[in-house]
Amino acid sequence: MEFPSIFWYTILWLIFWGAVGALVTPRVYAHKDKFTHQTAMLGAFVGAAFGPVGLVLLWWFTPPVTAKWLTLTGLVTLLWLSLAFAKADPDNLCVTSGSFIATQIANGLVIGSIYGLMALGLTLIFSILGIVSFAHGEFYMLGGMVTYYFTQVWFPDINPLLGVLVAALFTFALGAIFELLFLRPMITGQIERPGEYAILVTFGLAFFLQYTTLTLVGASPKKVPRFFDYPRITLPSETGNLLKVTPGNLTFFDTISIPSARFTAMMIALALLFALIYFLYRTWTGKALRAVSQDRQAAAVTGINPKRMNTLAFALGGMLAGISGAALVQVFSWVPWVGIPASSRSFVIIVLGGMGSLPGAFIGGLVLGVVEALGAGCVPDPNRAAAYLPAYGMIILVLVLLLKPTGLFGREL
Amino acid sequence: MRGNMRLLKTLTWVVGTGFLLILPWLIPTRMHVAVIALYYAILASSWALLAGYGGQFSFAHMAFAGLGAYTAGLIGKFVRLTSAPTQTCFEVPLGGWWMVIQDTASPTCLEQAKATMPVGSLIVKLPPWADIVAGILIGGLFGLLIGALVLRLRRTYLALFTIAFAEILRTVVNAERDITGGPGGLKLDPLFPNGVTLLGHEFGPADKLPPYLLMLALFLASLGLMYWLAGSRFGLFIRSIREDEEAAASLGVNVVRYKILLFTVTAMIAAAAGGVYAHFVRVIAPNMMVIKEMSVVIAMAVIGGMESLLGAAIGAILIEFALEQLRNDITVGSFTLNMADWRLVVFGALLMITLRFWGNGLIYPIIQRITRRGVAEETVAKRLQAASANPEEGP
Repeated sequence: MEFPSIFWYTILWLIFWGAVGALVTPRVYAHKDKFTHQTAMLGAFVGAAFGPVGLVLLWWFTPPVTAKWLTLTGLVTLLWLSLAFAKADPDNLCVTSGSFIATQIANGLVIGSIYGLMALGLTLIFSILGIVSFAHGEFYMLGGMVTYYFTQVWFPDINPLLGVLVAALFTFALGAIFELLFLRPMITGQIERPGEYAILVTFGLAFFLQYTTLTLVGASPKKVPRFFDYPRITLPSETGNLLKVTPGNLTFFDTISIPSARFTAMMIALALLFALIYFLYRTWTGKALRAVSQDRQAAAVTGINPKRMNTLAFALGGMLAGISGAALVQVFSWVPWVGIPASSRSFVIIVLGGMGSLPGAFIGGLVLGVVEALGAGCVPDPNRAAAYLPAYGMIILVLVLLLKPTGLFGREL
Repeated sequence: MRGNMRLLKTLTWVVGTGFLLILPWLIPTRMHVAVIALYYAILASSWALLAGYGGQFSFAHMAFAGLGAYTAGLIGKFVRLTSAPTQTCFEVPLGGWWMVIQDTASPTCLEQAKATMPVGSLIVKLPPWADIVAGILIGGLFGLLIGALVLRLRRTYLALFTIAFAEILRTVVNAERDITGGPGGLKLDPLFPNGVTLLGHEFGPADKLPPYLLMLALFLASLGLMYWLAGSRFGLFIRSIREDEEAAASLGVNVVRYKILLFTVTAMIAAAAGGVYAHFVRVIAPNMMVIKEMSVVIAMAVIGGMESLLGAAIGAILIEFALEQLRNDITVGSFTLNMADWRLVVFGALLMITLRFWGNGLIYPIIQRITRRGVAEETVAKRLQAASANPEEGP
């Protein structure tokens, strides 16, 4: 479908003044001898939200950058964007139907909690080892594959949660073995330029795992039926206004509808999230992990072995990705390259949440889930919306890296 | 001794070039693979300059190649030269000709214009070399832009940013079916639409020898350019940036300029390779920009030797031939190994093992052995001489 030109002009206007704001504002602040921290981001938001008028006012008064200003201007920019979309396509379901939006957001949050869990693994690896594993998506893929083979092919009548457990053990072991064989030499000084080596070797692992899986299981999509059929419940019992549960679907308040497979996946993600929080904050090993992430030398002095923590962190990170895959294998059909978009999503999330920040990763996951759900549901022309799906997260990644490389909750660089 | 070294180097180059020149007569049936191998060689060696010399771990190299290819393809699809104004299409006068740009909103404007244009007016496509040059310029422009945007980003952040750029580009090409043809692909003219005559022999548009020679010329030219750059102050500066950016800046290296220049040059080389490749294979799809292609190029550069342009190029050529050769199944008794799948597994394992145990790659140490033969003996001999001259200082 054709967009009216006013839509494109609005988008161009936002981008142009946003770019002007991002480029000029730090210079203005520096010229006035003020603190320039995050002024690029504020400039971009003010430029996009209020155009030249806002920018002139900003450069005139140069207020200190506060979270309040950033949030306010960011929201106004979002408002302009959504107005442009609404104006461009007034018949869109996202404009006419509130319940559609509510459903999309709820589904986004549900799927986002899994993305968050997976990104938690990646951010855990980053906070301990200081590297980003480019093979993270392949752990996710393997988690799903192992669950499929365990619950569908080898032991067809087994409890699917056992499949998830086996997938977790498998990916944990794989992560530990890889860390011992290929990442351990980095900290023992056998590798020149460890930072670059880490990027390439995890990239190589991704390639290796993808093609090994492809060779072993073939390219045909694997499908796992939903783990659990839910009992039929209606609350209140005569109308079902509050909650209606069927084996395949949950409906809240007659408006928000969530497939039960996704709901199960979210429950697994939340259970794991709480288990992880308990592990990291209440057990000795978890505290040791956090200690190593804060200060390696100091942790080593207190008797923690940082090398073992490295192995543990990489294995745990891989396991979290594997469990995410195992939880989602009942939702999507599974092919050997399903890990590629999954890794991209994890990258987006950890950058958005701040590299190495655990709460940031989970919240980033929820944000990305909602953005993707709204993007897929609201961009006019469903074919195009689906084709652009991988780009939404990537645009967030690019914007965050350019405007605020530390992300939402990241440590300062 | 130094004279000998130079002679040896020159000899190696002459023999190598000569070998590539007579290759078509050695393997006349595998010319297609040979051209693709050279394409990968250009990409791998320019990536080696970017990542091995400059330390900029960009994953957008295939995206630049894709930019070159798609610019060439889109110009062939939408741009025409006419000898008279059409009045109906968007057009730009160009020294007696008019450059007509069709757009998807009025795809038939040229058809309508034919009725009104004077009899005998010509409507022609741009020659392939022109759209390849346009592709190089667009590639350079995006290289400049990306180079400027990633100035502050290091290692992992740079890798993530460039992955995002490549993915956005691929997604756009994939989604805008009306313009790019989407996953179905975009058709291009052959490199020499009217055939070409070389040494009195006529070649048709489908013959593989002229594209091979063109790709070889591009390969040698880009390798020459990159060796010249690497050997000049530019090479020294980008290596100093790789080792320590702050230290380089404090010693007076203009980090901003050289980083951007490095991105621009390598992007232009990649775009050139992409443009020629696109005209050679004649159908391009967004798949040429997927991460897997990028992994292949990186693996070639790593296995060849990331810190050597020649090593990366030789690695790329050998690996491409090996991968093609390994398509045939291996049968041992009753057991058949499906090599079409396993070869990539082996390739991935080889990449990881090379990285782990031979950080300099597999080819580069061999090159070093040949070109630096005698250097160690010479140094040892000199030291012994110096030691015998002043015995109190010791060896």
